[in-house]
Amino acid sequence: MNSNNDHNLHRVQGHKKDDAHSHLPSDPELRVKAIETLLLSKGLIDSKTLDELIDTYENRIGPQNGAKVIAKAWVDENYKKRLLDDATSAIRELSYQGRQGENMVVVENTADIHNVVVCTLCSCYPWPVLGIPPTWYKSDEYRSRTVREPRKVLSEFGLNIDSKIEIKVWDSTAELRYLVLPIRPDGTENMNEEQLAELVTRNSMIGTGLPENSK
Amino acid sequence: MSRLHDMGGRYGDGPIPVPRNKNNQVENSEPTFKHEWHAKAWAITLAAGALGEWNLDVSRHYRECLPPKDYMNYSYYEKWLAGLTNLLVDKKLISIEELKKFISLVQEDNSTEDLKENVKLDERTWLAKDVQKTLGWGGPSLRKTDITPLHKIGDSVITTKYNPNENVIGGHTRLPSYAMGCEGKIFSYNGTHVFPDKNAHGIGENPLPLYTVEFKASELWGLAAENGNDKIYLDLWEPYLKIKA
Repeated sequence: MNSNNDHNLHRVQGHKKDDAHSHLPSDPELRVKAIETLLLSKGLIDSKTLDELIDTYENRIGPQNGAKVIAKAWVDENYKKRLLDDATSAIRELSYQGRQGENMVVVENTADIHNVVVCTLCSCYPWPVLGIPPTWYKSDEYRSRTVREPRKVLSEFGLNIDSKIEIKVWDSTAELRYLVLPIRPDGTENMNEEQLAELVTRNSMIGTGLPENSK
Repeated sequence: MSRLHDMGGRYGDGPIPVPRNKNNQVENSEPTFKHEWHAKAWAITLAAGALGEWNLDVSRHYRECLPPKDYMNYSYYEKWLAGLTNLLVDKKLISIEELKKFISLVQEDNSTEDLKENVKLDERTWLAKDVQKTLGWGGPSLRKTDITPLHKIGDSVITTKYNPNENVIGGHTRLPSYAMGCEGKIFSYNGTHVFPDKNAHGIGENPLPLYTVEFKASELWGLAAENGNDKIYLDLWEPYLKIKA
C-alpha cells in the first residue's frame, strides 16, 4: 500500500488553461463579493458565522493573550517551568487553546540565546496567543531572509544582537506553533503580573522585538 | 525542484516592510485586517473549509499550485481567494458557470440581496453558534500510533534531496528546499503527526514521527552564513530524514 513503485506513483497534473481562479475579476473586492454572494446563495456559508469569526480575531484573540502568558511566566517560576515543558497545557491553563495553537512550543530567550520565529513555506503563526499574523510576518521579505540572515533582518526591526549571542531561528514547517519567552526587563521588580503584561509587545513574542522599557 | 512558495533563503528580496509610527519607532499593533475584503476573504476560507470537503494540507497545496506568475502577482489574501476558488470548483461545491454568473452580477452592480435571502442552509454549513467551540477544538495533527521513532535525540541525520514527496511527483511537502541534502541533529521528538505529503493529496493521514531538527547556519549557508554557530530549527517528518552513514 505504501510502495512507491511506478504503478502507485501519483503525478500532479499540470495547470489547465481554464483554472477557475483565472475567471476572477481583477478588483479583489469584487472577487470576494462574487464568491461570498455565490456561497451565501447556495447556503454553504452563513453571514453570521463570518461576522462571529471576524469579531473573534479583531476583538478577543490577539497578542494581549500571549502577553498574559509571558507575564505569568515572569512572576511564577513553577508556571514558567510548566510552560517550557509542555506549552500547550500551560497555555490552556489560561484558557487559550485551539485552532493554530494545537501544539505549542515556548522557546526562552536568555543572556546567551535569542530566538526568532518564521514560516518560510506559508504563514504559520500561533493564533490563540498572538491572533492573525501582521503583514510583515507574511511578507516574501521576512519569509525568504530570516533563515539566511536573521541578524540583518532583526536590525531592520531595530534589534542589534551581539555577535556573542547565539541566534536560534524556528521555521514552523509542521503544526507546532512557536512563542518566544522574552527576558523580563530590568527595573520591573515591583510590577505585578497585569503591569508586566502591558510591557510585552507582540514582536517580543515573535523574536523581532524586545518588551518595552528594556532597551 | 520546488515551487515559488518555498522561498526560504532566496536572494533578491528587499527590506522587511516594518511598520513605523510618527517617531520612527517600530509599530507593534496594526489592524487585524487592513481592508474589509481581507477579513471577508479570510473568514470565507475558514467557513468553506469547515464544510469538511478538504483538510488544511489540501488548502495549502492549492495555494502553492497557483501558476507562478499569479502566485507572485497576488497579494496574500488574493492567493487565499484564488486557491479557494479552485478548490470550490474541483470539489464541485460551485461550477465555473455559477462563478461566471455571479461575477457578472457583482460587476454589473446588480442587487444581489434577494439571492441571499430565505436561503436554506446546507447541512454541512458552519453555524455561528458553533464557531467558538470549533475554534477551541482546532484541528490537531497529533495522532496516537504504535510507531517507534527511528531516530533518537542527538542523532545525526541527513535530509533527502530533490523530491521529498515519495508518493506524488511535484506534490506537497514541508521540507523546504534550503534544507534539502543537509546534515542536522535531532533536537526533539514530537510524536506521530498527520503526514502532509499524503494528506494534501487525499491519500490518507498516515501519521508519522515528527522531529525538530537542528541545523547549523554554516551547514545551510556555508561561507554566506552571518554567524556559522547560529542555529536553524525545522520540524521534519521521518521520511525526510536519512541516518548519517
